[in-house]
Parts: sequence; structure tokens; C-alpha cells
Amino acid sequence: MSTHKIYFFSLIIAPLASFIFFADLLKKGIPTDLPVAIVDEDNSSTSRSLAMSLDAFANSKIVLKTSDFSIARKAMQEGQVYGILRIPAGFKKDASSSQAPILSFYTNDSYILPGSLVYKDLRLQTALANGVVQRTMLVARGGTEPELSAQLNPIVVDTHPLNNPWLSYGIYLANTLIPAVFAMFVMLLTVYGISSEIKENTSSQLLAISNGSAGIALLGKLAAQFTVFFIMGSLYLLILYRILNYPANSGIAPMLLAMGLLIVACQSFALFVAGLFDKHRIALSITALWSVLSFSIIGFTFPLRSMPEPLQIAANIFPMRHYFMIYVDQALNGIPMYYSWLHYAALAMFIVLPITVYPLLKRQLQKGIYTT
Amino acid sequence: MQSIRNILQIFREEFSTVIRDSGVWIFFVLLNLAYPVIYTYIYSNESVHEVPVAVVDHDFSSASRDFIRRWDASANVNVIARCNDIEEAKRLWYKKDILGILEVPKSFGSDINTGKQTNVSLFTDMGGLLNYKALLMSASSVAQLSGKEIQVKDLTYALPTTQELTASPIRIEEVKLFNPESGYASFIIPAILILVIQQSLLLGIGTLAGTARDRNKGHLLPTGYLTRFRNPFQIITGKAMAYFTVYVVMIVWVYVVVPGIFNLTRIGLKLDLFIFLLPFLLSSIFMAISFSFLSKEREAPFFIFVFTSVPLMFLSGISWPIEAIPHYWKTISHIFPSTFGIEGYTKIANMGSTLNELLPEWYSLWLLTVVYFFISAYLYYRAMRVKF
Repeated sequence: MSTHKIYFFSLIIAPLASFIFFADLLKKGIPTDLPVAIVDEDNSSTSRSLAMSLDAFANSKIVLKTSDFSIARKAMQEGQVYGILRIPAGFKKDASSSQAPILSFYTNDSYILPGSLVYKDLRLQTALANGVVQRTMLVARGGTEPELSAQLNPIVVDTHPLNNPWLSYGIYLANTLIPAVFAMFVMLLTVYGISSEIKENTSSQLLAISNGSAGIALLGKLAAQFTVFFIMGSLYLLILYRILNYPANSGIAPMLLAMGLLIVACQSFALFVAGLFDKHRIALSITALWSVLSFSIIGFTFPLRSMPEPLQIAANIFPMRHYFMIYVDQALNGIPMYYSWLHYAALAMFIVLPITVYPLLKRQLQKGIYTT
Repeated sequence: MQSIRNILQIFREEFSTVIRDSGVWIFFVLLNLAYPVIYTYIYSNESVHEVPVAVVDHDFSSASRDFIRRWDASANVNVIARCNDIEEAKRLWYKKDILGILEVPKSFGSDINTGKQTNVSLFTDMGGLLNYKALLMSASSVAQLSGKEIQVKDLTYALPTTQELTASPIRIEEVKLFNPESGYASFIIPAILILVIQQSLLLGIGTLAGTARDRNKGHLLPTGYLTRFRNPFQIITGKAMAYFTVYVVMIVWVYVVVPGIFNLTRIGLKLDLFIFLLPFLLSSIFMAISFSFLSKEREAPFFIFVFTSVPLMFLSGISWPIEAIPHYWKTISHIFPSTFGIEGYTKIANMGSTLNELLPEWYSLWLLTVVYFFISAYLYYRAMRVKF
């Protein structure tokens, strides 16, 4: 009875709940209107127009205006604002009389995402402020419009974020987090599947219908599980690419193949661990640890190439890492499948793992002793 | 007196159960010892450096070479290839040899010499936003710096200060008030250290409950227990004391020893930290006791609790700004101690907040402690009424 509940929960409830959670949380793609503070010690027409134009940036929203820096600093320490723009007293006067006033801005990178979004706005805003003063000086010298923009900004960088021009976090967080949660359950359920046969003493029945062959028994059980996993996995992919319409630039087929191989790789890895440890709780612990570490070692938030080198090598034995690389190549970038073959092959290679521990698995099934 | 003796007896029995169960040890001890170290190691480089890129220079003037050289010289960028056209660069990108392409137009040098505005194009791989950020930041810094030089190059007769003033009539000063290096570890590790305590308690106590159910035909309490102890408050107090004892040691390891070894940011006062962590630990323990009622067998906690870590991380306001979290998720997040724990611990460790400044979080954690204390007492009360 409770075995069914665990399957139901792990295959449907938990992934679906994660799905709804992440899809809903990340639906806007990028956070907007993050709170910032303005410290206006000048209180002139110039400083007020500076404040107003900062408010117009999409990522920032001024929630605090004060002339006292310590108030703004305290607000930042309390996490109420992520950035502060400080306009010093005498700003307008100094700027117009070539006294080079200091315009300063502060950000809080303890919250790295909002901190860096606000940083971008503040940096642009202060550069623009500089431009406004320069422009006034240039106009006074009698420049014309195209000349002006050339002189204010001689070199412009046009950025082309390939295949994610919206800079949406939703796109790659949802496409990695959801399969990673699913892969975790595939691993856990595979160990649990073997473990519960033994725990509930049904392994002898399983062997009996397989004519005593542990290989057939295991293959049969895994094939049945694979079918269920693959149906669920494909369903999740369909939701991602057909309902939520995340980019699938090579079509959905390469991702279905990746999902199928991901499931096989996860099953194989789990079976391997289950073979090594006849205490299945240890096997469950290891697969759980592996899955949780996956979230970091995939390198989708902090890039793998910036991690210590031993980890860059170790990442290869995490199935999700290969799935993620295929996702970037195929769904996100839509490049020819040829370039991803190594990662497809790597996933398939995981099949070798359980074969090496087959005798151990066979003995466990035949003995059928549940050890905690 | 009898009640205190009962509590102590329950404490002793629970403590020895914990000590003897290797499965529980994995969660209570091994997880807390290993995870903080593994994660600190994963993020030990703190930031992205030397992102490999290719350049396509159609101009090949001294100005374009200068621009590329400067970009290459910045810590974020490593130019590993010079290509003749975009197609050639794209093939390198397909092979993952490079993560960005800079294309300099043919008119680059002549535009600059004739006082026209010029554009360079930066193409970036979006498989990781940190790489994108590193390339963009450095390219715009170089553009700004080179731009300033162009602005003053006709002013050779002027004094250096006049030149500087023409290029930037306003001086700009940027300050990263907290986490000044924008380190990834400094940002994420506090959240992980809090989560590991809460999640290991959920898993460990869930395992204890599941094991008891496996052994007692689905009942949480053995019959012998019920004849001796009838008061649910005594039972949960005694059990909580056992877990608390183990976790006092773990807390010192996780929040003092590990940050010390890896030299993590820790500005706040130790005393404030421990006073803050007290209700965090207590509320986590009683929440774990309450949630352990979901654990119907020894293996169940793996399925119920492990996957929740990532959503909880997002709900804490660390990975995703709290302002961008819909209110219903925010409401749900308030039932987990980790939400307040991460918030508070980040402020103490990274931002040097004192306990006084964290009173809202601190009181919330005490409130959760009380609520979960009564929930777990009620659940035990109900479990004890079930006839065998």
C-alpha cells in the first residue's frame, strides 16, 4: 500500500509540484522593480531629474528618498534596498562650474542576482549623468547632434545574447531544475524498487516468474519502470516546450532522446550503487547525495569551468551534467546534433556500470534479506 | 519530579536509538560534516575568470587591435582564437571551445578617426548567465575607457586635468557595500549552511519515525513505551533534547569551524549568531518531529524531503529576490525555519547585522518553535490514542 503511495508521490505529485512552483516563480523571466534608495544631499533640479530617470529603468524602483546617507545604508543592511545612489551636496553647482563632483552608488552583492541587476542600472545611470553634463558643455561649444553622440559615446557595444535575447532566467532555470528533480526521483525509485522487492519478500516471486534468472527479473522490472518514467519524462518535456513554449530550437525529438537516455543513465547508476551496498539505505543515501550535488555540479548557475579542476572531471559521472549540455546545444542553441554526440554517448555509457556489479545484485535477489 | 524523570528517561532512550542507528548517523552527523565542506569547495573560486572567446576583426587597424588587446587583458576574458569570419567563430562556439564572439566592423578605425560613432558586436553563449555577465561587463568597460581617450585626443594642448574633466565632468565612485568581491561562495554558502541543518533534521527524524513504524506494525510508538509514558509533552521534550544535544556539536562545526577553515565572510558577533541560531534549531527540530508523521516507512524521508531543498533555497529570497516572489509562495515560505534562518544568517555573517536588527526574524523563529511544539505534541497525543 505505502509502496504505491511512494511511486505516486515521486512520479506525479512531487515533480508536478516542483514544476508548478518553478514555472510560476520564474514566469516573468527576470525580476523587475527592485527596490533602491536615493540619497539626495543636493536637492536641486538636477538631482531630482537624476532620481526620476533612474526610476524609469525597468529593474529598479526607488522606494526610499532621503538626504541622510545613514538611513539608506541601514535600509540596505536590513535588506530593504539593493542599491543606493548618492548625490552629494553642491552637485549641480560643482558640475556646472567644472569642479568634478563625485556621484557614488552602492550595491549589495550578498543578494547576487538583484545586486547585479541594480548595479547595471546604477552604472548606466551615472554614466548617463556624465553624458548629460558633457552634452551641455559640447552644445555650448556648438556641436551638432550626430557629432554629439559620437563624442559622448565613441564606441558602442551591441550585445547579442544568443537565443535568449530577453536574458530570461526562467528559460534556463526551469529547463534544468525540473529535469534534475525528475532525475533524482528516477534514481531513488530505482534503488527503492529493488529494495522493496527484498524488504517485502517478493524477490523470490519475481525470480520465479523469470525462470530463476536474476538478469531477466531485473531487466523486466527495469523495463517496466523505464516505461513509466519515460511517459512521465516526455510529459514534462511536452509541458516545457509545447505549453510553456520555452525554446526548443532543434525541435523536441533531440530532447526526448536525451530524456530517454537520462532515465537509462540514472537507472544504471542507481542499480550500480544498489549492487555495491546491500544496505539499501546507504544506496539511497548515496543516490540522494548524488542528485542533490547534481544541482550545483551541472554548472547552470555557477559555470563548471570556474570550479576546481577535479570537479570538472568528476562532473562527467553525473548524468544530469550531460543532459544539461545537450539541453544547451539542442533546445537552447539549436545547433546540429552532431556536436552533442559525446554527451548522448556518455549517457548511454552508464549502462556499463550495473553490469560490473551484476553478480552482487544477483546474490541480493536470491538471498532476499532486507538489511537496514 | 516524576515528569522530569520521565523526560530524562525519554531523552536517554532516544539518544541511544540515535547513536545505534547508522542510517540516522548518516543524516545527523555525516551530512552535516560533509556538505558544508563539499559546497565550499565547489564554489571556492568565487567568480568567473578568463572566459574563452574568439574575435573577428574585419578592420585590423591599430585602433581595433588596441581594443581587442585591452579586452583580452581584462581578468574576465581570454581571447583564444582570431577568426576570419563569423561562420568560423560559430563553429568554435558549437564545439564549446569558446563562449563568446566579438566582431569588430571594417569601419572601426576610420570611424574613430573621423569622429563618427562606431559599434562592436558581442555575441554570447547563454548556457550560463555569469559568463555572459563577465563578457559584457569587461567589453563595456573597455569601450568606456577607450571612448574617454578618443574624447580627449584632440585636446593634446590641454592640461591633463582639463582632459580628464572633459571626458568625465562627474567623477563616479562605485562601492560594493557587502560581499565586495561579488563572490559566489560568499552569497550562496550561508544559505546552504542553514539548509543543511534543517534538511538533515527532517531526514534523520523522519527516518527514526519510519523505522519505528516498520518495527511496530505501522505504529509510531512501541507498546512498552505507552505503558510507561502517557504525556505527549514529555515525549517530545525528551526526544527534542536528544536531537538538540547532537546538533549543538554540529552547529559549532557548521557555523564556526567550517567558516574558519575556509575563511568565509563572518562579520557579525559570535554571541549574536548563537542567540539567533537557538530558535532556528529548536523550530527545525519541532518541525521535523511534526513532519516525521508523514514518514510511513524507513525509506520514505528520501522521497518526501530531499527534493524540497532547491525550492526552499529559492523561497528564502537569496537565489531569487523576495520582491519577485508571488505573495502566496511567500506565505508558504513562512512555515519553514530556513526562510528566516537564511535571511538572518546572511545578515549576520555577510552584512554584520546585530541581533537587535534581526528581531523580526528572531521572533518569527520563536513563533515557529511554539507552533511546531504544539503540533508535534498534538500528533503524538493522537498517535497514543490509537488502539493496538
